Amino acid sequence: MPIIEVDHLSKVFKVQRKDPGLKGAIKALFQPKYEDKTAVNGISFGIDAGEMAGYIGVNGAGKSTTIKMLTGILLPSGGSVRVLGRDPHRERVANAREIGVVFGQRTQLWWDLAFTESLNMVAKIYQVPQVRYKQLLDQFAETLELKELMDVPIRNMSLGQKMRAELAATLIHEPRVVYLDEPTIGLDLIVKERIREFIKQQNQDKGTTVILTTHDLGDIEELCRRVIIIDAGLLIYDGPIETIKKRFGKYREISFETPAASAHVDLPPGAEITLVEARKMTVRFDRTTTTASQVAAALMNQLEVTDFSLTEPDLASIIKQIYNGALGEELEA
Amino acid sequence: MIASLRRSLSIYGAIASMAAKARLAYNMWVWADFVVTIVSMIVFVYFWRAVYAGTSTLNGLGLSQTITYILLARLLSPLVESRTIFYFGFMIRNGEIAVELTRPLDFQLRIGVQTMAELLVFLFQRLPLFLLAWLFFGMRLPSDPALWAVFFISLTLGQGVIFLFDWMFACLAFYVTETWGLSVVRVGTGSFFSGALVPLVMMPGWLQNVAAAMPFAQALSVPLSLLSGISPLNGAPRLLLIQAAWLAGLFVLSRGIFDVAVRKVTVQGG
Repeated sequence: MPIIEVDHLSKVFKVQRKDPGLKGAIKALFQPKYEDKTAVNGISFGIDAGEMAGYIGVNGAGKSTTIKMLTGILLPSGGSVRVLGRDPHRERVANAREIGVVFGQRTQLWWDLAFTESLNMVAKIYQVPQVRYKQLLDQFAETLELKELMDVPIRNMSLGQKMRAELAATLIHEPRVVYLDEPTIGLDLIVKERIREFIKQQNQDKGTTVILTTHDLGDIEELCRRVIIIDAGLLIYDGPIETIKKRFGKYREISFETPAASAHVDLPPGAEITLVEARKMTVRFDRTTTTASQVAAALMNQLEVTDFSLTEPDLASIIKQIYNGALGEELEA
Repeated sequence: MIASLRRSLSIYGAIASMAAKARLAYNMWVWADFVVTIVSMIVFVYFWRAVYAGTSTLNGLGLSQTITYILLARLLSPLVESRTIFYFGFMIRNGEIAVELTRPLDFQLRIGVQTMAELLVFLFQRLPLFLLAWLFFGMRLPSDPALWAVFFISLTLGQGVIFLFDWMFACLAFYVTETWGLSVVRVGTGSFFSGALVPLVMMPGWLQNVAAAMPFAQALSVPLSLLSGISPLNGAPRLLLIQAAWLAGLFVLSRGIFDVAVRKVTVQGG
């Protein structure tokens, strides 16, 4: 029995259309013209208790709009949403007690106050019992490395610190459902890793249901077994991440910066050079037959390398390939 | 029932103290505000002395009474320059409204408590100015404790009235997303009809009627007229009842309007 039920959900925004320039602005003042913009178009899915699902799509695909309908902020234009048996918009406050939301770009903490004070406030709002609060804080402080942040006001925190603080504040009342909207956007690898670890732990220990929106496929791979892909408001894929990974994640590319770029290098099987420039070369490899470290080691044995980077397959290109029927055989199988 | 009341008290009490702390974080502005207010008090005092140069009473008010009223009005006028409308617009434009609506709180109560806490801090911060007005500018304050009690009740009711009115106005932000114009219109009408510039009793009868039909006077003119002795104390129960009626009416109306307006939320960006 799913605890989140989304049924033919739609959201249409009315957007005012203005002609360019001052003339357009004046015209719009007297004769406003509106057009409908469908942000979410008839999406249906269900999420079971304890599931961690990735909800992905490129910018403007309708991810955040969906999340906002699930959290009760936005009223759907069509279809229905039920979370833990409630209509999240109509029963917004009751719903809010049992969920946690992280909007990657905003903060729920108080800008000018030290993190401890903000956190105390959040605990108060959700009526977390003192003893439990202390316990959780100790746990969180360890996984998220919060100790040195306690007395820092949010406005003085770096992006990574802010997100760690934000996650602690979101989970301090042990919500049953957590929505994470781009939680790792703009963060470095170490912080990303820590945050993913924390989310995984919460899910395993408490059975917290997690919906994660991102355009970082790394997040999804680490955390989710199931992925829902939307594009232009339409659901285009709902299934195991394995399928996506097998089909699109097979190849990776490593770019090397080297003063002696050369096409004549011995590489492990499954790896091939795709580009050689003056001080740069790119190697593509099949992850099922070799690893990044094998490729890098082989190359570094033969050449002097000043820098290198691993490129993830990018979501936009995957979505394009899905449209072109790339998933045809897997979906039928 | 009692348990849930106690819970609400502890939650909203915490919000109030939080708002107060946040307001105190910007202490610098207090000094700038002091200077501006002192200048405005001087200007107003000289203006009214000039007006009274050829007469001893004006619409039944003597110079001393008028000066007292005007100084109080200067000191308390920010109370009718509510920032609720501006704040709403700001939250909607930068998307903070999304965060606010995911908190398990009554949104109106939360903003209301925050507003009141900020006003309280503001009043405390201005205490030195009251002292100054009393020592140097001829503000005469009553010594009757009953009068002070009535004043504080009336001021609190009035602030509630103006908050609820602004709340309804602010709900327009859900439809227009641009609140600067709304704010300007509101502050302009507000300062005039609240009696922040001129005592309302000095206005022509028809204008007084217009002012009485609007909620602004409840927030400033009514409590200040009591404190400065323009309205006699024996008329206070009637005035307080009128304020309570405004409060009750606007409470019902403002909640209804919010419930409708919140369906229109569009969260920008993200």
